[in-house]
Amino acid sequence: MNDDQAREDIRIIKAMLDKTRRAATESGTLFIVWGVLITLALAGTWVLGLLKEYRWEWAVWVGVTVVGWVFSAVYGYRRDRKSEVKTYAQIAARHLYIACGAGFLLVGIVLPRLGAYSHEAISILVSVVSGILFFVMGGLYEWPLLRVFGLVWWAGAAGLTLVKDNDRILLYTVLFVVAYLLPVCILRAKYKREQSRT
Amino acid sequence: MTAETFEPLDPVIHSPLRLAVLSILLSARQADFGFLKKATEATDGNLSTHLAKLEDAGYIRVKKSFREKKSLTTCVLTDKGRAAFGRYLKALESYLPVRAKKP
Repeated sequence: MNDDQAREDIRIIKAMLDKTRRAATESGTLFIVWGVLITLALAGTWVLGLLKEYRWEWAVWVGVTVVGWVFSAVYGYRRDRKSEVKTYAQIAARHLYIACGAGFLLVGIVLPRLGAYSHEAISILVSVVSGILFFVMGGLYEWPLLRVFGLVWWAGAAGLTLVKDNDRILLYTVLFVVAYLLPVCILRAKYKREQSRT
Repeated sequence: MTAETFEPLDPVIHSPLRLAVLSILLSARQADFGFLKKATEATDGNLSTHLAKLEDAGYIRVKKSFREKKSLTTCVLTDKGRAAFGRYLKALESYLPVRAKKP
C-alpha cells in the first residue's frame, strides 16, 4: 500500500459514512403533523378563552394528544419496518421523541389535571420541554441551528411569565410559529435536499 | 518513513467493498442488504461473497428474516468487527505522510 491507496481507503470510509448519514436524515413528517395538531389546539384554546369556556380546554388538548400519539405510533412502526438502515442517532432520536412526548403529556395534561399547578403554567413548562427537544436534536443531527431554537424556547419560557391569560396563549402561538414551525420547515427542506443527493 | 514503521493491514478488511460495508455498519446499528448494495454500488453476487467473508471472520453478523413475504438480509457489526476496524484505521494512519513541521 502507498499514500494514494491509503487516501482512497479514507475516501471510501468518508463516502460511506456520508451516505449512511444522508439515508438517516429526519424527514420531519411527524413534526409537521404535530405542528398542525398543536396549531389547531392553540386556536381552539384561544377561541375558548374568548368565549370564557375554559372548562373545555383540557378536552381540546387531550383530543389532539390522542390523535398525535396514535399517528406517531402507527407512523413510527411503519417507518421502522420500511427503513433500510438504522443508525445510532435515529435510535437515540426515537427515545428523545418518546421521552419528550411523555414530558408534554405530563406537564401539559396529567399534572395540571391532578392539581399540581395552575393551567396558566402549562405553556411555560411545555416550552421548557420543547427547548430540551430541539437542543438535543441539534446535537444528535449535528445541526447547531436546532440548538439555537432550543435556546429560543427556553428564552420564550421565561418571557411567557411576563404576560397572563389570553395574551400568554397569543405569545405562545408566536413562539410556536418562530421556534417550532420555522425549524420544522427548514428540517423538511434539508431532508428533501439530502434525498435528492442520494 | 521506513518500511518497518508501516503497520500490517488486516487482509479481511483490505478490500474496497468490505471496507465500504464495515464503514456503513460502523455508524449504523444495522443495515439491509438492499441499502448496502445501493450505497456500495455492488452487484448481488459480489456483495454476498464479501459479506460471507466478513461473516466468516466474525466481523459482522448476518440475519435472515422476512418482511412482507420477501426475504430480508440484515447485517450488524460485531464487537470483534468494530475492534478490527479500529485497528485497521490506526494501521492506515501509518501509511499517510506525516505533515511537515513548521520551522
